Amino acid sequence: MAEKKPTVLVIDDEEAMRDSCSLILARGGYAPVTAENGEVGLEKIRELKPEIALIDLKMPGISGFEVLEKTKDIDPQLIPIVITGYATVDSAVEAMKKGAYDFLPKPFAPEELRLIISRALERRRLAMEAETLRREKKLMEDNFITMVTHQLRSPLVAIQQYFEVILAGLAGQVDKTQQEMILRARERLDNLLGLINDWLDLARIDRGQIVDKLKPVALDNLLKKQVEFLAPLAKEYEVSLELKPAKGPVLGDEQMLDQAFSNIITNAIKYNKPKGSVTISMHHENSFIVVKVEDTGIGIAREHLPFIFDQFYRVSRREDQKIKGTGLGLSIAKKIVEAHNGSIEVESEPGQGSTFSVRLPRSEDETK
Amino acid sequence: MNKSTQKILVIDDDPDFLAAVTPILKSALYEVVTATNPREAKEKIFSEKPNLILLDIMMDSLFDGFSLCHAIKTSKEFRDYKDTPIIFVSAVKEIAGTRFQFKGDEEGMAGPDDYIDKPVKPDDLLARIAKLIK
Repeated sequence: MAEKKPTVLVIDDEEAMRDSCSLILARGGYAPVTAENGEVGLEKIRELKPEIALIDLKMPGISGFEVLEKTKDIDPQLIPIVITGYATVDSAVEAMKKGAYDFLPKPFAPEELRLIISRALERRRLAMEAETLRREKKLMEDNFITMVTHQLRSPLVAIQQYFEVILAGLAGQVDKTQQEMILRARERLDNLLGLINDWLDLARIDRGQIVDKLKPVALDNLLKKQVEFLAPLAKEYEVSLELKPAKGPVLGDEQMLDQAFSNIITNAIKYNKPKGSVTISMHHENSFIVVKVEDTGIGIAREHLPFIFDQFYRVSRREDQKIKGTGLGLSIAKKIVEAHNGSIEVESEPGQGSTFSVRLPRSEDETK
Repeated sequence: MNKSTQKILVIDDDPDFLAAVTPILKSALYEVVTATNPREAKEKIFSEKPNLILLDIMMDSLFDGFSLCHAIKTSKEFRDYKDTPIIFVSAVKEIAGTRFQFKGDEEGMAGPDDYIDKPVKPDDLLARIAKLIK
């Protein structure tokens, strides 16, 4: 099997250096290409995707250090090795810090060059193998989450469907005691399903599935829909919902942000008082947009505040026993916001209400 | 029109869902036929000529509800049945996370006439069906 020869790019302003390296590399079974300065070097990295680049640190025009830094953006798989005539410890250390795999002081023997190249190739092979494995593992885990969720949900949904039919009287007369018991059983199932859904959301966030696809999201629209969607719940709890005029877009994953705000606003409604209100407002703060969700509810006691974003932490008080929840809503919101490089804070006065502030990075795209 | 002449095909891989939804439909005097896999679904569409189809989105991995719906609405094979109303039935969270978003829109697939969440509320289901097959 004829394997493709590994391409090694030599970026050096000295012609003699380029020629001798090429010769050594060709003899060692590599395909050498050369560039006489940093710009040409970067161009060739883009074009030819070499496995390895030998970069001279001291060149006219853009320096070897700059080339080194830019290679990372162009091809993270590329293994850069620096060559330097002034092999001081400092420049070597700096080059390594900037991502060089190794460094080669001039002058060097042909054997030294070939050795370093073969080590670099081995390392590249291992890195790529690890990357493939990581990707496969992630795919397996993603599918696993979906499958497990489906398997957990399906039987519960089937049970609920039976309950619906029985409660509708379609399976014969249901007396009052039976009806009450089924209603309770249904409620427990609802909670369990809620838990599975929340768990799935958490698992997805932990898998980092959102950070890959951040786009400008128009918060005003998102929150408007949110307010419409939650209006029936607000009515049920006799709470008024108000959305103040909005600011520009943030950078995010719309569906995930939707989920985060849904959790926060739902809490603000549920942990409110009859005739209370929930006010959503926004303001700019440097490169962030801060969304405040302010309620006039029961508030959170000081001793609970540090824990309310913890998983499964629920403030249990006799008066809100009737409020159902999984104890995951806020921790999900926090994870989502943090995955957006944002933050979430809470201020609260027991008996007066709570204010949740969500800071999200503004989108550059201010035209929206 | 006499409702009893209306026939509904319910397609779902969960026999319990079929067993539970059948009495709901029968209570409104619909005739009910069921299928638990795509092959059976296809046969029943041709042999029973249903007036409406209730279709689970997450059937088996090989052939999901989206594909079947698309096939019914657009393929030659089903051209005599392309106007049969289809209601998607699904446990919402499986599809899009927080809220239902019809996946097919993005992928250029023919969508259903309506959709409903599992577990279905009997009144809601019957109202949606009635709207589609007056």
